[in-house]
This record gives sequence, C-alpha cells and structure tokens, in this order.
Amino acid sequence: MEHLILPLVIFFPSIGALLLLLVPERQADTIRGVSLIVSFVTMLLSFAVYYWFDPVASGMQFELNQLWIASVGINFHLGIDGISLLLIVLTTILTVLCILSSWRSVTKGVKGFHISMLVLATGMIGVFCALDLFLFYIFWEVMLIPMYFIIGIWGGPRKIYAAIKFVLFTMIGSLLMLVALIYIYFEFHSLTGEYSFDLLQIMSMQVPYQAQLWLFAAFALAFAIKVPLFPFHTWLPDAHVEAPTAGSVILAGVLLKMGTYGFIRICMPLFPEATIAYLPYICILSIIAIIYGALVSMVQKDIKSLVAFSSVSHMGFVMLGLFALNQNGVEGSVMQMINHGVSTGALFLLVGMIYERRHTRMIADFGGLAKVMPAFSVFFMIVTLSSIGLPLTNGFVGEFLILLGAFKANVVYGIVAASGVILAACYMLWMYQRVVFGKVTNAQNEKLSDLSPREKLILVPIVVLIFWIGIYPKPFFERIEPAVKDVLTKINGARLSSADDGQDAAQMFIDESKEISTVVIDEGVTADE
Amino acid sequence: MEAQLPPYSIKMMLPELFLFVWALVVITFDLLTRRKSGSAVGYLAMLGLVICGGILSITGYGRGFGMMFINDPVAVFFKVIFLGAAFMAIGSSFGITNRKIVNHRGEYFGLILLSTVGMMFLASSQELLSLYIGLELTTIPLFVLAGFFKDDRKSVESGIKYMIMGALSSALLLYGISFLYGLSGTTDIVQMKINLAVTQLANEGDIGVILILATVTILAGIGFKLALPPFHQWAPDVYEGSPTPIAAFLSVGSKAAGIVAFVKIMMLGLEAFYDPVMKPNDWGILVGVLAIAAMVWGNVAAVRQSNIKRMLAFSSIAQAGYIMIGMVAMNQYGLAAVGFYTFVYMFANMGAFAIVTVVEDQTGSCKISSYAGLSRTSPFLSAALAVFLLSLAGIPPLAGFFAKYYVFAAAIAMAGSSNGHTWLYWLVGVGLLTTVFALYYYANVIKTAYFAREASPYRLRPLRPALLVIAIGLLGVLIFGVVPETIVDFARDLPYYIAH
Amino acid sequence: MVNYLALAAILFAIGLFGVITRRNTIGILMSLELMFNAVNINFVTFNKFVATDSLVGQLFAIFIVVVAAAEAVVGLALVILVYRNWRGIDSDKYSIMKW
Repeated sequence: MEHLILPLVIFFPSIGALLLLLVPERQADTIRGVSLIVSFVTMLLSFAVYYWFDPVASGMQFELNQLWIASVGINFHLGIDGISLLLIVLTTILTVLCILSSWRSVTKGVKGFHISMLVLATGMIGVFCALDLFLFYIFWEVMLIPMYFIIGIWGGPRKIYAAIKFVLFTMIGSLLMLVALIYIYFEFHSLTGEYSFDLLQIMSMQVPYQAQLWLFAAFALAFAIKVPLFPFHTWLPDAHVEAPTAGSVILAGVLLKMGTYGFIRICMPLFPEATIAYLPYICILSIIAIIYGALVSMVQKDIKSLVAFSSVSHMGFVMLGLFALNQNGVEGSVMQMINHGVSTGALFLLVGMIYERRHTRMIADFGGLAKVMPAFSVFFMIVTLSSIGLPLTNGFVGEFLILLGAFKANVVYGIVAASGVILAACYMLWMYQRVVFGKVTNAQNEKLSDLSPREKLILVPIVVLIFWIGIYPKPFFERIEPAVKDVLTKINGARLSSADDGQDAAQMFIDESKEISTVVIDEGVTADE
Repeated sequence: MEAQLPPYSIKMMLPELFLFVWALVVITFDLLTRRKSGSAVGYLAMLGLVICGGILSITGYGRGFGMMFINDPVAVFFKVIFLGAAFMAIGSSFGITNRKIVNHRGEYFGLILLSTVGMMFLASSQELLSLYIGLELTTIPLFVLAGFFKDDRKSVESGIKYMIMGALSSALLLYGISFLYGLSGTTDIVQMKINLAVTQLANEGDIGVILILATVTILAGIGFKLALPPFHQWAPDVYEGSPTPIAAFLSVGSKAAGIVAFVKIMMLGLEAFYDPVMKPNDWGILVGVLAIAAMVWGNVAAVRQSNIKRMLAFSSIAQAGYIMIGMVAMNQYGLAAVGFYTFVYMFANMGAFAIVTVVEDQTGSCKISSYAGLSRTSPFLSAALAVFLLSLAGIPPLAGFFAKYYVFAAAIAMAGSSNGHTWLYWLVGVGLLTTVFALYYYANVIKTAYFAREASPYRLRPLRPALLVIAIGLLGVLIFGVVPETIVDFARDLPYYIAH
Repeated sequence: MVNYLALAAILFAIGLFGVITRRNTIGILMSLELMFNAVNINFVTFNKFVATDSLVGQLFAIFIVVVAAAEAVVGLALVILVYRNWRGIDSDKYSIMKW
C-alpha cells in the first residue's frame, strides 16, 4: 500500500475528473458534490502520506520506480521528502477549499470548471512527487492547460489577455527547461553510457562547470518566471487579478511554489557550483522583488492586485532564504512557501467573498466593514497579521528564519530585506484599516450579510493552520530538516562542511566560484593546445 | 540492371496491386449503381484500405524486380501512415460527397485510393525511376481532387495552382535526378551512393559543381512538395480552395510522400555528402536553412490568418520544418524522430481537419470566428479540437509533445557529438522559439471556441464516419502520448534499414 | 556531350523563365513541357556518353514523356475549367486568394 500511495494521490483527482465526464451538465450540484468528495478523499490520502512519513529518515520515501518509456530511459519515478510532503498536503487542502469557495461563484460551465480543477490538482501533486526529470516536465506542463482554461473562461474582464500572457510566459520558460533537460540527458549518457532522466542518478554526476552555468540559467529562467522573480513577474498581476477566486488561490498558493520548489529540487543539487556563481545576482533580484513588490502594493487601489503584488514581495523573501544557502535560511524558505500558500490563499478567498457580495474590489468602495461583517473582519484580521508575519502566526516563523539566514549570509542583504517586512506591515495594515475600520461611507455596504457557515467552514482550517504553524512548528521543521540538509551538503560539498559557521559565507562563495572558473578556463586552454 | 522478373516478386507488390484494383472497383461500383450508391461507395473505399492494411501485414519484408521494389520496415512504416491518412480523409469526406459532389463520388474516392497507391509505390521504390513514377502517381490524382468542385472558383484556382506547382517541382526534381544519373551512371539508389563516392574520391572533388546543381534542384523539387519556404506559396491557396478532406490528405499524405522521397534521395543516396568533411556538398546546412525558414515563416504567418484552413496550411509548413530538423540530425535518432513525428502528425492533423470539415459542412464557413462559442453547443468536438491543436503545438502529455521532443533530442545529440555540427543548436533554438508562436495561434482557436461570451448558434452533428475519424485521431494522440514506446521502438529500427 | 548538356540547360532555363513570367496558362503548360524535354535530353545524353551498358536513361526519358503527357491532360482539363469559370485563361484572373 505504501508504495502505491503516491500514484494514488496523484491520479485520484484525474479519476474523479473522468467520473465527472459522465455526469450531465445540468446537475450542477451533483458535479460540485462529486468533485468535493474526490478532492476531500485526495486530502485524506495526503494526510495518510503525512502520517506514514518517517520524519527522521533522510532521502526519498515512498519511492516507486517503474519503467515507462524504456527505449529512451524515461522512468515513472516518484518519491517524496519532507519538502514535497508539506507542499503536497498544502495542495490538497487548498484544492478542497477552492472547490468549496466556488460553490456559488462559479455558475456557468460548472462541469468544465471542476474537471479543470481536478486535472490541475493531478499536475501539481505530480510535480512535487516526480523524481524523473522528464516526468517532472510533463506534470509541469500538464497544469498549464487547465489553468489557461480556468483563467480564460471563468476569469474577469481582461481574462483572455491574462490567460494568453500566462501561458506564453510559462511556455517560454519551460521550453528552455526542456532543452536543458535533453542536454543533461545526453551529458549523462556520455559520462556513464546510460540513458536516464532519473534525478537521483543525475545528481550523482559531476556536470562540467561551463555546462552548469548554461543549464542553471535555463532551469533558473523557467523557475524564475514561475516564482516570479523580479523582472519576470509581469504576468502575475494580470493572471492573479483576472483569475476567478479559486484560480488565484491555486496560482498563489501552489503554482508559485513550483518555481521555488524547482530551485531547491533541481537547480541547487544538480548545479551546486553554478548556484554559487549566480548567488549574488539572484539575491539582488530577490531583494529588488521584495522592495519593489511592497512599494507597488502600497499604491494599489484594487485589493486583489494589492495581494498579487504582495506575492511578488513574499516570494522574494522565499528566494532570498533559499539562496542564503544555510540551514536557517532554507528551512525558513520552505516554511514560508507553506505560509505564503496558506495566508495569501486565504486573502484571495476573503477578497473573493466580498467580491461575491459587492462585485467590486476597490479599496475606496469599502470602509467600516467591521460593523456590518464582524466575523469577516476577524478572519480578515488574523490572515492579514499572518501575512505581515506577526509573532504567534505562521508568517513570523518563516520570515524570521529567512532573515536570520540572510543576516548570516550577508548583513547588507539582511538589513535591506528586513525593511521589506516593515513595508509589508504598512501596506497590509493600511489596506485593512481602509476596508474594515471607520464609518460605513458607502450606503451599499450597510446591507452586506456576514459570512455564511460554508464560508466559515472554508476559513476555519486556515486559521487553525496559521496558529498551529505559528505556535508549534516543530512537526513541520522536523520533516523538512533532513531534506534541507541533503541539499546543503551537496552545495557545501567542496569546501564548507557547514554553511552555519561561515561568517561571511556569500563572499567566500564568490571567491570560491572565481577560483573554480579560472581553473576551468586554464584547463580549457590546455585542452585546446 | 538485369530484367529478371522472379515469380515471388509480385507478392511484394500485392498491397499496391490490390488497392489499384479496388480503386477501379469503387469507381465501377458507383457507375453500376447509376451514381445512386450513396455512402456505400465511401464505406467500400474505407473497407478497401482496411483490407489493404491486412494484406500489407501478411506480405512481410523482401524485395522484388531486382532492386527496384523493396518492402523494408521503412517502407511498411510509411505505408501504414499513407493508408491511415487516406482512411481518415475518406472518413471525413462523407458530408461533402453527400452535398456537393453527389454525381462523382466514385471518382472522388477512387482518386484518393489511386493517389494512395502512388504513395505506397513511392515508399517501396529503391530506384530513381520508380521513385519518380510513384511521385507522379501520387500527385496527378491530387491535382484533380484539388479542383474537384468544378463550379467553385476557389477550388478550380487551387487545382490549377497545385497542378502548375506540382509539375514545376517534378521538372526541377527530374533535372536534378538526371545529373545524379549522369554522375553515377545508375538509377539504383544504393549503387548510386557507392558510385558517387568513388567518383568523388577519384576526381578529388571535381564533380562538386554539378553535384551542387543536382542537390539544389532536387531540394527545390522536394521543397515544393513539402512546402518549405521559399517554395511554399502554393500551399495556403491550395489548402484553402480544395475540398477540406483533400487539404488534409495533402497536408499529411502528400507531405509524408515528400518525406519518403527526401529520405530515399538525400539520406540514402547522397548520404556521403551530408558531412561537412566532404565539402563543398554539405546539403545538411542547406536543409537546415530551409527548416529554419519553414519554422519561422510558417509560424509567424499562421498567427495572422483568419481562415482556419490557411492557418493549418501555414502550421503544416512549420511542422515540415520541425520534421526537417530530424532529417538534418543525421544520426540514429534522427530518422526515428522523423518517423514518429510523421505518424503522430497524421493523427493530430487529420483529426483537426476532420473537425474543420464538420464545422464547414454545418456553418459553410472556415473563418476562425465561426468557431466562437462552440464549446457550449458541441462540447465533445470542441474538446477534441483542443486536444488536436494542443498536440500539434506540442503540449505534454499528448503525442505531439513526444514527437517534438524526439526531434529536438536527435538534433541536440548530433550537435553535441561533433564540433562541426554545433549549428544544430541554433536550429533547436529557433524551433523552440517558434513553438511559442505556434502555441499562440493554436490557443487562439481554442480561445475562440471556449472563451466566447455567447453560445454558438450551431450545434454540430457530425456524420458517423467523421466521428470515427475523430475518435481514431483522439485515440492516437492520447495513446501515443502515454505510451509512445510501441511506435518509437519500431521507428528506432528504421535508421538501421536505411543504412544497410 | 557538353553541347547536348548546354542545350538542355538552355531549354530548361527558357522553360523555367516561361513558367515564372508567362501570364497565359497555356503558355505556362508549354514552358513546363520545355523543362521536361530538357530533362529528357539530359537523360538520353548521359545514357549515350556515360552509362552505355544499359538503356535505363532512355527508358527514363520515355517514362517522362508518358507522365508529362498525363500531366498535360490533367492540366488542360483544369485550364478548361478555368476558362468556364472566368471566361479567360490569364493567370492573373484566378487570384481571388492571395498568392
């Protein structure tokens, strides 16, 4: 059973989608019910995975390695470590919440919507489970199409523009990834004489430094578009704002994490030297993203685009933590991926809820909601605080560790990034104040009904998660620690046994990388002669 | 070449002979029923193709008529593609035959079968004369088919344009072939390969100029057949004007025939002159340039088309460019990739054209705008169209993705294997970049069908054979997306046979 | 041999030029025939001077004559259709679709 649990989690939603094909379009409630049950069972299955997961063991668990396309060496290789585990659980929980949240808001094309959601779930979970690069790529692309439909059919006024922009951006990145993939494949063949896309096997291979630089760039571009890192972020506000609530939640909650997950699962362990070489650039871009995202958020008039830009800022934190390359930073990043999924997902859900009532998302249209919708305001408050990173909420745990890691790596980075936290507090609280406090200025707001039981049911698990991670994060850290250590040993393999004791680690990395590059160049010259 | 006709050699040609006879049977049947045969004649033609496939499967490998006719795995592989394309073209034709050409059903189906005979003959030819005959047998019926709507100006126009271009390309091809004959003194392709290399070595490269002339004219001739820029102008017009199933058959069957001709002449006959070492006859770079032109021009021009048939015409120009990448990667993966690509392309393209035919039957229009809102009224067909287009765009896990993957992988493997071929990286780069354009215009059709505000006024009711074609296409695209193994394994052996 | 080849080349070039520049469809078809005949001369020449041991070249030429005739039949039939539809056979008439 334990070996089959991963494929079961991955493909159960797809089976549900096939089942939905048989339900006639008119029975909208049956469709919603079936899809809810399917996603709920998927969630329970992912809990079972969590339960069976051995927190102390390092390496991959629940591995399943099946030949798929033998002639080309493509395997159906699945397996998870702590990082994937948490992301899978996050994905399944958010999928359930999304389906619940679209109960009333999606009324046309119900069948298509739920089929898309379930196929999307398969793609997302698959990405987090895949240990074969080819399989990874396929799952990565599989979620592209349902998302395209979700944005394009059920989205807002500029949905078509947003959908096509989203697809083209992602496609450009993933095509580069495909080339890099094929290159690694043949590189692996020339070194070992075997054809394989297997991530674990390829990890044991030493890629030449020059090739690493190119390959890292190709993969990093694909992932950076997804994250999105600063200059590649322009698709995100469009996609987030135009997507329906469920689409925004999944986009922010899970799809962005696939980018950072790609960095930690593929880029870092496969190309450690290149990681070090590119380190300063990525750190600087992340910091620009943090500050830029925060500043742009501040001037947004639309709540949804405010949340969208705050995602750019938060994902900048995650990237910075990852590339601090020390235990604290990386663990904090992984934790922050989950936190961002939970709290930003919740923000989008809340925005969706008031949008359903008022059909506007402009901050100026609201004010004084505390009086009309007390329950909503309380939930909104908790989520806002978690997004800012107040102690006792989940956001604090992640951001604190990331900043700690950043300070250890480079003090300047740490200081600049910390100012991002302050900016985040500014724009979030200012927005909250304008929406919730004060007098009811707009007559239309007076009649608003408070949250329905269904909506409370959606928000309660999120609040539980917010406080659970905020107060007792140990079970989560326990599970990601071995995985993070694996990645870091790979990176520090050459000179630094542990990044924790490097006072000015970044500088040392840079020096080291220069040395390596000169060595390689020398070698190249002699080889040519 | 001795004029021996061993008795067993006829057996090798059984499928072709059967199909030829069957085409006559189909035409006669239509005449005997005084043109009132209805759909029966179409089903008869489809039945013939199935039986022919059966005969093909029991014929086995071998050769006949000296070296002129050969049934090796390469030939059989492409014959299956031809039969499949013809089957699907006929299957999607019933709407047209029932409305527009009620009085000429027999000829219509019969000519498709005859053209298929030509393609199969071409696939088996191992000799320039029979190759030329096969090519002409393929195209002459297609001239007639393209202009089949006698009173429709567009159709007649496409017929005459296709005829002129087809004849011109044959003339160019023949001119090149005549020089190959002059240089090698033989028309047998394998013998030619040897003789050319010997002459080349003996004269220390002096035959270069004439060989370049031959290579260029042959490439121009095949380039016309494959619609590679700059020889592509006829394709959009002919596709737009001719009956839609014929356009589909042109884009798959006729294109595959061109690919076979290319494989036979360039990859087999002029194999020695691929490598840059044998300068100045490096046809690899020449084809590479054609491939780049095809991918760029095909994909860019497709973006601004408003007629779906023209769009698919440009897209098929681009697809030919991708196939050419596999050709240029002259290694063990290259030909396998070409084979797999063509095979998968058949399913996706024939399926897409079948849906275009259904829509045209119902709405009378091929404008992309007439697809608006189809997803509400005809969810199955819209979903099928989306699957076909996404497969053509190369989105996993559909079969089209694996096809593109194999082609690119072949080129990258070749580029990495020796220093003289690093330009192949550029080819791959251009291919990837243009794929994004391709995704854009394919997605544009899907967008029109799915994201429209109002439901379409049409509810599509495809005829049963058309549904069968669409189902076959869907199955092909989906199954070979999940388990490409079966075909890949078969295609992997092709290079071995071509190099024997 | 060179003389024959040169003759063929000139014929071929004239034919190609004709196909490209002629506006009358019959003229285009005649130019195509010129090209085919240039190829025929090539084949026969090569058969006579290079590959003397067999008659493949001459055989090829005969086949080309036959096939070209078939092509011309279809071509002329199409020309008649063009004439019926447009009342004229100039190639710039039938360009309702852009080339």
